[in-house]
Amino acid sequence: MNIHINGKAYPLSNETHISVSSALTLHFIEPQQSTFAVALNGDFVGKSDYDTTMVKNGDSLDVLQPIQGG
Amino acid sequence: MSLNIYGQNLDSRLLIGSALYPSPQVMKQAILASGSQVVTLSLKRQNPAEQAGQQIWSYLQEIVTEVNGHLLPNTAGCRTAKEAVTLAKMSREIFKTDWLKLEVIGDDYNLQPDPIELLHAAEQLINDGFKVLPYCTDDLVLCQRLYDLGCEVIMPWASPIGTGKGLMNPYNLETIRLRLPDATLILDAGIGKPSDACLAMEMGYDGVLLNSAVALADNPVLMAKAFGQALQAGEHGYVAGIMQQRQTAHPSTPTLDTPFWHQN
Repeated sequence: MNIHINGKAYPLSNETHISVSSALTLHFIEPQQSTFAVALNGDFVGKSDYDTTMVKNGDSLDVLQPIQGG
Repeated sequence: MSLNIYGQNLDSRLLIGSALYPSPQVMKQAILASGSQVVTLSLKRQNPAEQAGQQIWSYLQEIVTEVNGHLLPNTAGCRTAKEAVTLAKMSREIFKTDWLKLEVIGDDYNLQPDPIELLHAAEQLINDGFKVLPYCTDDLVLCQRLYDLGCEVIMPWASPIGTGKGLMNPYNLETIRLRLPDATLILDAGIGKPSDACLAMEMGYDGVLLNSAVALADNPVLMAKAFGQALQAGEHGYVAGIMQQRQTAHPSTPTLDTPFWHQN
């Protein structure tokens, strides 16, 4: 299957789905780090749901971090 | 005289952005010089492994702690209510605040807020417990609808974001103040110079939110100080009661017993 994290494609040949926690490690993210938040296909996923929320073929994860703003 | 935002009293009536400064050090000095206790920030895609977001956030946390202030996350870049609601929830998880500068843009040319999507987003977010500070156009009915939904703070624009054009439609802004006497009104976006902020305060606005006018000044720290002083001057002027304009001239020096050469 293929998933996207912040627009970057990640081909995964052996899985049909993986947890958000596992997907984040593909992107070199430690899931318990506090300074990011996640949306799956445009819907917010809270930290407490990373292990139980599944990412499937064609899904997109957005991982956002603080930045300066007006 | 303090600014009340959802029950929080703040000494300063200036809310300030954290973007576009020449350096993080200048940003910090400018925020401190402004006296502001509310600093806006945002979220964007980054690789957390690079730690850039962590550094920015830590730095801004230091600043707001130093001024006993608050972070105000925004939803910059959102085009729909759904996007804004998702980003709001992400912000709340990271920043641990239910304050939100709600921003839903409807046009790429002037970055004008989309009033329809803004209302939809505000309603959902209020129902979800957010303290919403909507950035909106200077449309009276839109402001009324936002207030009726439960937005205690309304933030109409002075002019499009980053233009520095100042108060493009003073009549609309005065009317909003007149018709929503109990709302906390903060003028947001388009402020260019300290006198713009002063004018808003003389109208009875409760505060001003700005970023570019300070960050893009030749001397951001001095400009931040100037804005803090301008807001205070405008507020004092409003509270003191501004005289009514008159059509005819009236001498300010008493005319009784003026010298003889004026008496025929």
